Amino acid sequence: MVLVVGVPFFWAIYLSFTDAVGGSLSGNWVGFDNFTNAWQDENFRRAVRNTLIFTLASQAIVLVGAAVLSNLLVRDFRGKWFVRFLVILPWAAPVALSTIGWLWIFDSLFSVVNWTLKELHLVGAVCWMFGVEGCGAVNPPQWLGRSNMALVAVIIVNAWRILPFAVVIFIAGLASIPTEVDDAAKIDGATGVKKLWYVTLPLQLPIALVAVLFGIVFTAGEFAVVYILTQGGPFNSTQVLPTWAFQVGINSGSLGQGAAISLYLLPLLAVVTVFMLFFARRAQVS
Amino acid sequence: MPDAGDELVRPDGQLTRRDVLRRGTAGAFAITMFGGLAERAFPFYGPLRYQHKQLSGELKIMQWTHFVPDYDKWLDGTYVKQWGEKNDVEVKVDHINLALLPSAAASEVASGGGHDLFQFLFPPSALEKQVIPLNDIVQEVTKKLGKMTDVAQKSSYNPKTKKYYGFADNYVPDPIHYRKSMWFNAGVFPSSWDAIRRAAPALKNAGHPVGLGMTGELDSNMLLMSLLYCYGASLQDEESRVAINSKATVEALKVMRDIYRRGMTDEVFAWTAASNNDAFLAGRLSLALNAISIRRTAEDRGLALADDTWIAPIPRGPVRRLGNEHVMGIYFIWKFAKNKAAAKRFLVDQQLGYRQHFLQSKFYNFPAWTNSVKGGFKTIRRVTNQDRHKPLGQYNILASIAEKNTTNVGYPGYANAAIGEIWSTYLVPQMFAQVAQDKMTPQEAAKAADRQFKQIFKKWRDQGLMP
Amino acid sequence: MASLRAGLRSLPTYLVVAPFAIVLAFPFYWMLMTMFKEDSDLYDVTHVPYVFNPIQWRFWESATTKHVSFIFEETNYPTWLLNTAIVGGLVVLITLVISAPAGYALARLSGRWGQGVGIAIFLVYLVPPTLLFLPLSRLVTELHLKDTLWSLILVYPSFTIPFSTWLLMGFFKTIPQELEDAALIDGCSRLKALRKIVFPVSLPGLLTVVIFTFTLCVNEFIYAFTFVSSSEVRTVSAGVPNDLIRGDVFFWQSLMAATLIPAIPLALLYNAFLDRFIKGFTGGAFR
Repeated sequence: MVLVVGVPFFWAIYLSFTDAVGGSLSGNWVGFDNFTNAWQDENFRRAVRNTLIFTLASQAIVLVGAAVLSNLLVRDFRGKWFVRFLVILPWAAPVALSTIGWLWIFDSLFSVVNWTLKELHLVGAVCWMFGVEGCGAVNPPQWLGRSNMALVAVIIVNAWRILPFAVVIFIAGLASIPTEVDDAAKIDGATGVKKLWYVTLPLQLPIALVAVLFGIVFTAGEFAVVYILTQGGPFNSTQVLPTWAFQVGINSGSLGQGAAISLYLLPLLAVVTVFMLFFARRAQVS
Repeated sequence: MPDAGDELVRPDGQLTRRDVLRRGTAGAFAITMFGGLAERAFPFYGPLRYQHKQLSGELKIMQWTHFVPDYDKWLDGTYVKQWGEKNDVEVKVDHINLALLPSAAASEVASGGGHDLFQFLFPPSALEKQVIPLNDIVQEVTKKLGKMTDVAQKSSYNPKTKKYYGFADNYVPDPIHYRKSMWFNAGVFPSSWDAIRRAAPALKNAGHPVGLGMTGELDSNMLLMSLLYCYGASLQDEESRVAINSKATVEALKVMRDIYRRGMTDEVFAWTAASNNDAFLAGRLSLALNAISIRRTAEDRGLALADDTWIAPIPRGPVRRLGNEHVMGIYFIWKFAKNKAAAKRFLVDQQLGYRQHFLQSKFYNFPAWTNSVKGGFKTIRRVTNQDRHKPLGQYNILASIAEKNTTNVGYPGYANAAIGEIWSTYLVPQMFAQVAQDKMTPQEAAKAADRQFKQIFKKWRDQGLMP
Repeated sequence: MASLRAGLRSLPTYLVVAPFAIVLAFPFYWMLMTMFKEDSDLYDVTHVPYVFNPIQWRFWESATTKHVSFIFEETNYPTWLLNTAIVGGLVVLITLVISAPAGYALARLSGRWGQGVGIAIFLVYLVPPTLLFLPLSRLVTELHLKDTLWSLILVYPSFTIPFSTWLLMGFFKTIPQELEDAALIDGCSRLKALRKIVFPVSLPGLLTVVIFTFTLCVNEFIYAFTFVSSSEVRTVSAGVPNDLIRGDVFFWQSLMAATLIPAIPLALLYNAFLDRFIKGFTGGAFR
């Protein structure tokens, strides 16, 4: 296992210090050139920005949604089995395939979203929200063709996909709350929302942290959703670090540079991890 | 506490009935699962060694999933099997999606193993160092069939290293598809870019805009590069020097911006390679630039608009009427290929008898050596004339397009590694889209592209692959 | 009357849950409709996309199953499904076998050591597969596993084990050491204590690991695509985009069908798991 993980990892680090091209596994040593060159490229800086926005936005949606849904889905109500089934579906479908499905949902001509907006006469409002001029019923919003809309589209699809993941983890977390705590809360007179806020949510925190942490890792490293929906376009405006690394390393053939770009994820995620762990330690103490 | 019934073996060593039942069920299950799986065992151990023991060699080919499913069926099921039997080689063809060819190639280079023959749909100039030169088989075929077309030559030869890094197999001409009735109503024929610009507003108002994409995808890429040639612009000159920053480029950018502003909708910025197909077949677009896949799909689905859809050469610009091939089928053989001899044999034999390929691909694949179809373009025209789809005789124009209006990516120079990178990263559609969306003026865009291209050219020059 | 009152009490729940459920499931309803549509129905902008046209209520006259039968007859779809199941199943097994003891050990190990290993495990995710696939390709070829399912079965645990270990670590941590110690004092062997005390309580965690590991395997795309090139050996994630997107022709209806077919049984399976362990702990705790 160490072999499978360690060797490629260290090789990737080695590559980032070379000028390897075209899929070959070696090149001339260039020191930190690849790393500094990356920063000078506007596309790279945008990719970093996008990665942050993309990750934070989709995780925020997921966190709120999962916190709410998980507490509701453990209750007893008619049709709960079916509702849970619906909630799980996005996670159950293979990401490559479901994203292709979203390609069709956001299609430039046949988009069902645009059709619905048109019927509800909301096209003008949506266009105004995104600041796109010349937009209207005849010229519907291009979810994958305008930079800001494309970013929103990508965030939506990713949040859609990760939400069930977070919900399941949160529910698993609820499972681990010992019943004594529950009974104690009842004795103290805490019920409903009060109980949720003061008892359940704090206790869900450790597991929630796991969910958020891995959610962030999976999202920041997300390749399929962005690549399939926009390929990083329009004009590289939705590139995130993994797709930009792929574009540079594989499509352009500058493997060393691609390796350097993808390694930039490391410090980003390391910072987030440390932050979360610190937070977790504090939460656990209480 | 285990009770007597739990004992699997009685003290005297005989199996209890319970145990027999348990083991028997387990055994039956195992046999069913693994017996059934034995047939499918090869996923675990790799593709089964062939059943025909008399075939001694093995050839593995990787190519794209052809848009005509029947072509792949014929190729895999009939052609390679017959060739294999004749040449004592077991041939296996794998197909992948054209967009994923570069990553598959990269992975094979990295792993030092994979397929013997690999097909790209654009010149694989960047991979020159990982493939063997194919000068010998090019000479062999040239001796038999005469010179290959200029498109093929410039897409598979590197004048700096004097090597044929690839073997050009086929190219696909890129016509425009247009709806005759709609253009008739607009009072003009899309024979020039200026005509399209003039007619675009009327067509848009009629609800049938023209469909000229400006997205990072194949159709837009080919279309916009062709537009540049028609206006006298180009990415590089014959000497492989960057030449994008010119008045002609600015002119072309202005034309496209104009067409967009007055005659197109935002959808053209959000297209995939399939979008113009879908939009045209839905009856919406009045014009699209695409290989004949649009027409053929219309015929397959029995759509009424098929009778109204004509194909024509790329529109004329003020300087010339010239377009790119839509895709260029080039094979290369890895340095680490296991069966180079069979691979070379296969390429030569395939090109020598290309008539069937031309037919089975429904006129999509034109041979790199025109005389491979005996009689050259004359025969090709005769064959296309026999197509029974209405309007009759419409495919004849393909031969003229192939003969007179098709050139390689990187015109007037060679399709070198730098051009390959510019192509794979869709820098040209980006440039046009930014101008059309008013994010840059045409002059700024041309200058920015110039800077970008120069960096890319320098990088590949440093690798020794370019003059 | 009582059921109505129960229904009304659940009303706020319904009101909050409904929009979520609709947004999450809407694409699947969409896929369900699309996969049965005729070309003439699908590629018409004037048609209502949510139902079949032109005869909306007599949908059996406007719908077709030919796109669904296409994937079963003309492609290797059933084989891909089987391959995906095999890979998923085996990787789940491997992951459980490794991450359960590992998670337990790390949970019990206090102090810096446990934390450090935890972080090291985490680092694994920081280099994306879009780059790792190249050296891993090399490794797989050297081991002569290229173009077989074993290449995936060997590589997938590299990203399922870390996550599973972390998750189980979290679960095991919530089981107080005292409970185990009490059992030991009572005369149970360590193994028995594990079996009788730890295992039942951590069952939700284990089931969660199964679900996630299986999902990660089914979703994985890059490795599945580059390590395996023969169509009969592909998993569904790599096989479908390959064979149903030909050049510039997308077989939309078949694509939708291909997505929906594995999604539904998987969602049912996951739901069953989820149900099991919710029942396990709710038993009266939530009203």
